[in-house]
Amino acid sequence: MPAENPFQDPARFERRVPECVVVIFGATGDLTKRKLIPALYRLAYDRRLSAGFAVLGISRTPLSDEDFRGRMLDAVKEFSEDTKFDEDVWRSFAEGLFYVPGDLNDEALYARVAAKLGEIETARHTGGNVLFYLSIQPSQYAAAATHLGKAGLGKGNGWRRLIVEKPFGHDLQSARELSDRLHEVFDESQVYRIDHYLGKETVQNILAFRFGNGIFEPLWNRRYVNHVQITAAESIGVEGRGAYYQEVGALADMIQNHLLQVMATIAMEPSASFQANSVRDERSKLLRSIKRMSPDEIRQNAVPGQYGPARVGGADLPGFRQESGVSPEAQTDTYAAVTFFVENWRWAGVPFYVRTGKRLPKRVTEIAIQFNRAPLAMFDDGEGDDEPNLLIVRIQPEEGISLKFLSKRPGNGYKLRPVSMDFNYGSSFGERSPSAYETLLLDAIIGDATLYTRQDMVEASWNVVQPIQEVWRNTKFDFPNYPAGTWGPEAADEMLARRGHVWRTP
Amino acid sequence: MAAAISSDRILKELADLWVSLGKKGQEEAGAGVLRACTMTLIVLAEESEDPAEWGETIAALMPEHPARTIHVRLCQERERALSERVYAECWMPFGQRRQICCEQVEISVGDAALGDLPSVVLPLTVPDLPVILWARTVRLLGMPEFRAIASMARKVIVDSAAMPDPADAIRRLDAARGRGVVLGDLAWTRLTRWRETISQVFENRERLARLASVKGVAVNYGGTYETSARLMAAWLADALAQAGAAPQLEVARSEDVPTLRVALEGEGLRVDLARSDETLLVTVNEAAQHTSLPYPTDYLVMREELSVVRRDPVLERTLSSAARLAYPEGK
Repeated sequence: MPAENPFQDPARFERRVPECVVVIFGATGDLTKRKLIPALYRLAYDRRLSAGFAVLGISRTPLSDEDFRGRMLDAVKEFSEDTKFDEDVWRSFAEGLFYVPGDLNDEALYARVAAKLGEIETARHTGGNVLFYLSIQPSQYAAAATHLGKAGLGKGNGWRRLIVEKPFGHDLQSARELSDRLHEVFDESQVYRIDHYLGKETVQNILAFRFGNGIFEPLWNRRYVNHVQITAAESIGVEGRGAYYQEVGALADMIQNHLLQVMATIAMEPSASFQANSVRDERSKLLRSIKRMSPDEIRQNAVPGQYGPARVGGADLPGFRQESGVSPEAQTDTYAAVTFFVENWRWAGVPFYVRTGKRLPKRVTEIAIQFNRAPLAMFDDGEGDDEPNLLIVRIQPEEGISLKFLSKRPGNGYKLRPVSMDFNYGSSFGERSPSAYETLLLDAIIGDATLYTRQDMVEASWNVVQPIQEVWRNTKFDFPNYPAGTWGPEAADEMLARRGHVWRTP
Repeated sequence: MAAAISSDRILKELADLWVSLGKKGQEEAGAGVLRACTMTLIVLAEESEDPAEWGETIAALMPEHPARTIHVRLCQERERALSERVYAECWMPFGQRRQICCEQVEISVGDAALGDLPSVVLPLTVPDLPVILWARTVRLLGMPEFRAIASMARKVIVDSAAMPDPADAIRRLDAARGRGVVLGDLAWTRLTRWRETISQVFENRERLARLASVKGVAVNYGGTYETSARLMAAWLADALAQAGAAPQLEVARSEDVPTLRVALEGEGLRVDLARSDETLLVTVNEAAQHTSLPYPTDYLVMREELSVVRRDPVLERTLSSAARLAYPEGK
């Protein structure tokens, strides 16, 4: 047998995709319907999946293969936002969709799954490669993994991988316990902890921007960077997830995972190569360098918030405590702002302001790197035209990068004005960007874990977030402290003002 | 020609264009326009060709491959260059207020003045960015000025399917390759999705193990696909030789519609690829799969070619093999 496929043409072909079965636990759930199946269909549409590719859906609802295909057809038609529906492509894709009903806690289910996987492997030549996707309640992750192990599904003819969604535990201890349980069946190299933020094109582009260009990296340190602001704002409230959100809060829901990963990508050291573990080693090292704050420091550098009712755009919006399923006394943070410090030579003393919240004025996620002002304000004409340079990485809704700098106004004299140099993904590359789930699912199938979170990264994140959680849990806050439709509590502004900074208005 | 066209004047017109576009953008949308440029694209086309045909392709390519486009219109009857024109291609990205614009320069030149073309075009190329030459006219390849014009560009894109004699077309391209010209051939680009699908079939280890047993390869074609069919056969033969197979090659016209059909046959293995409208039907033994296969419009194939701005070793190897298959005696 040839050692390599002689038909490969890496300059023109997309990455090589092996045959496999994706087994989705929670196959009738929202994530499967809205994200996973539309993403897989899009990959099939783009010829990115192998001919024998198959999906095995597992859920409690009794369905036949045909019923499942019908449901997934509806999902593709409803949730594939920018993908043309093609009857022939769907038919081929649907031939690879299978379903096994059952209770996750029932051992007999796993025997049926094993039998079905055997049938699929024979019929579709999937080579024994299986990617398990746990789109179920986090409390069921460990049990599902254990059952997979007992049924002998953790090993096989081909490779076996496991994708788990956040949250990866609710604190350091539970994160370790979960990891230990998963490791009883799957090695760390087989566990893919998905963080869809890392699948976004612009977040990936941060690495290209920083390490593919020679001009920025020399400026990327405490000598030139004044501070960094990371904002992930949502205009919506808890949207019917009040009961769940009440137990989690903004700090654990967003900062512990997504935003600290983004921060690590912005601040990490260059990796020796673009191999998955090399990049993840650097990201992990950065997370471990974030200062773990004392309770006193936390009170100075972390601000929780909770939105109250307000009238926005002619509509009355409820406060968090008025949301369905939420206690009228809830102390949940629907907003969190934290000043982090990275204790290494590159970043010592540079504040990283990270904030996230619900019911803020608009949906926007961006990173703003503010550089120091020029050492001598020789053009300062008292009109405030001494604004610092800003590099803004926009993650959503419009992905792109802007550099703000000062320029002379046309005419006599030296009056300066800020101008913005914009790079916009949508316009600079007319090509459609793949969705985060398309990118991440394909990466997992190919075996590229670069954009997935490793256990040491999860632990490093909890290590800095958990002390904040503990202080907040032991403090009674005077919530609500910001009206819906505003940029959060005043205390968050004061937190920056103490260092002479202000939040940008994205 | 130098008397008729001044590069300096064109460059000044380009600068003026940006000032007027900026003012217009400020007045109409309250924001200036953005200039985007990743390369200089020189398009050589016959004057008789309707500019609307390729103009739409260029406009569609700009959002992904923003370029300063220099359109050279070849006028067979005229002895001297006649005119130039400078304008912009702009588009408004969805959901945004600010326009993105690219520059376009149009130059008309007679056959007799073709030798002067590099001296006019070279100063117009954008510094530090690649220059790509898209020769829409196949006549150029046979002209003595071709070498000098090709030497301006990092890459020359042609469409060998437009040449009247497919075997001769392959030989000419192979000769150009031998002289060090970095080539793109749209007849080859039209095969990418087919080739990728074949490659994907053999990502499966069981099938890869049977590759050495392939005894027969049939490439049937219709319409203007003869050159593509020859390239496909050569590419398959090369890859199969690497796997230890020496199959019987058959390239035959058998379809009225302009497309291909590819079949590989070995022990316990039959792979068949056929187009059905915008779908590629892939049959491996008894299992059939449909994937989307849009018709390879000029836009789609150029979009791919502009993404590969370097030497293409697989094409070069294939051209060489296809030339050997076409002229086994080395004629």
